[in-house]
Amino acid sequence: MEVLLALTISLLFATGIFQMLRRNLIRSVIGLSIISNAINLFLLASGAYQGEAAAYANAAGQRSDALPQALILTAIVISMGGFAVVLSMLYVLSVRYKTSDSDEVKGLTH
Amino acid sequence: MNALVLLPIVIPLTASAVAVLIRAHHRLQAAWAFGAMLSSFICSGALLWAVWSSGAPLVYQVGNWAAPFGISLVGDPLSALMAVMCQLVLTGGFLYALGCRDQCAQYPAFYPLFLMLAGSLTGAMLTGDLFNLFVFAELLVFSGAALTAISDDKFGTEAAYKYFYISFIASIALLLTCGSLYASYGTLNIADLARRIAADPSPPLVLPAMALLMVFFMVKGAVVPFHFWQPDFHTAAPTPVHAVLSSVVVKLGIYGFLRMTTLLFTEQAEVIRSVLVVVGAIGAWFGGLGAVGTYDAKRMLAYSTLGQLGFILVGIGWGTPLALSAALVYAFNHSLLKAAMLMLAGSVASYAPVKTAAFTAITGLGKKLPLAGVLFMLGGMGLAGIPPLNGFVAKFMLFSSGLDARAYPSLAAIGLAGIVTVVYVFRAFQRIWWAPLPEGVKPKPYGDRLLAPAFLIALSVILGVWAEPLIALSQTVVAWMTSPEQYVRAVLGG
Repeated sequence: MEVLLALTISLLFATGIFQMLRRNLIRSVIGLSIISNAINLFLLASGAYQGEAAAYANAAGQRSDALPQALILTAIVISMGGFAVVLSMLYVLSVRYKTSDSDEVKGLTH
Repeated sequence: MNALVLLPIVIPLTASAVAVLIRAHHRLQAAWAFGAMLSSFICSGALLWAVWSSGAPLVYQVGNWAAPFGISLVGDPLSALMAVMCQLVLTGGFLYALGCRDQCAQYPAFYPLFLMLAGSLTGAMLTGDLFNLFVFAELLVFSGAALTAISDDKFGTEAAYKYFYISFIASIALLLTCGSLYASYGTLNIADLARRIAADPSPPLVLPAMALLMVFFMVKGAVVPFHFWQPDFHTAAPTPVHAVLSSVVVKLGIYGFLRMTTLLFTEQAEVIRSVLVVVGAIGAWFGGLGAVGTYDAKRMLAYSTLGQLGFILVGIGWGTPLALSAALVYAFNHSLLKAAMLMLAGSVASYAPVKTAAFTAITGLGKKLPLAGVLFMLGGMGLAGIPPLNGFVAKFMLFSSGLDARAYPSLAAIGLAGIVTVVYVFRAFQRIWWAPLPEGVKPKPYGDRLLAPAFLIALSVILGVWAEPLIALSQTVVAWMTSPEQYVRAVLGG
């Protein structure tokens, strides 16, 4: 289970970083979103998540820590707000520059 | 009494929500927001006074949850000093926004966003919890990026997008730090972490956490290898916003490094310090040379910030008590001076026929603005470190601490880089105030008011002539910082 989780996180990271490095702005934002989801899983893992009993369960044994879940909840809300802002700015950029190629968005370089 | 820590954070954030409700009445909204800024500045001043006079920090446990479990807000001397510095410059920036002719300052969202920026920046300085730092840092980026995206400059959105994207990656680094430290020590309270890391620095995730936290603070502080967003951002942002962002928001990075070397990672501090000296010396040169070679007055001052931050980082990197207090005084003075200089550049640009601070557009405009010229000259002398200004006091302290620490190679590097400051400041002065106005250029009859930069420059002159209190204060702060167990005891009790 742990190996599977670790592999999932690393796969998500790899995909996210690959997409972030693309020239297409939309792809790079999607990469950012994938990475922030990978982070959420990483935070979950930092609470020694083994997924066998929920945090609120009364039974003894493999219980997961509740605090990382609270952190993830906050991180999800914040990243949702962040994507709303990023996507709205991306919309303005695509209207103004008529492109989604990051090399074409260069109004500030001289 | 302990709620005094809460006030400089809560007043602007609450006032921001109320200001959204009264958006239909612009003058009322402006008066309300200015009142909120002023009262939170007074509260942070009272916080510093209370901390300084009693010598003990004020700790507020949010929701009365005891320290390692709840969120603690810690008003210790360092964060109280930083909070006062931020609130002072933010109030100055707000004053500028009130007398500013930018279209965007009239938008109903401008004042609420500015208050949110103020509240989140102060919160990031005062919090004693790593995850809470993430929340405040995100709030800071949201409001800063939104304020830039509504700029009058047509490239505002591009600048805001770059700023937001890079800051988002920095936040990811901070979240990874949180996860690594939580997995190693099971806590996110900074005092508790400091105690546990000092007791047992062996877990394998500590060094990655330290590196990622450094990346976070370097992006926030626009330290050289992570500075890409900064010059672009400052070319396009509205003047009151970038005056604040280039002077105090970057100090979040400085604050973070002070905390990392003196509290959180005292065992590994030597590694951090040696990185900071190298990065700072490179930054001092890179920023200085970038400022000399640029085409735009605001961009020049943005590069100059990179350079000046280099000096402060070298001071932190030397790490002796004298160097740390020099870095604190330097940070305080640089905030005042850089905010004033950016406001002056913005004010001159507001007279240009096309609103831009490019040197081609503002050459010779200074002929009509002799007062701005005097203030710019004074500010430039401060940045370059010429006597009657507070910049001289800071540079003198820094260089003498370098001699004291026998760090001759880095001292030579930043000493030479200091000369470059003189070159770019006076080059800008010459182009704006000495060059004749080109034929056919008709400056606008009105522009931004000079009250806010005059206030900040006057304060810098006072702090230059009468530097005693600030130096004494910084020495108290350093005496506090060098014994981290006091901080731990104050937060955790016992």
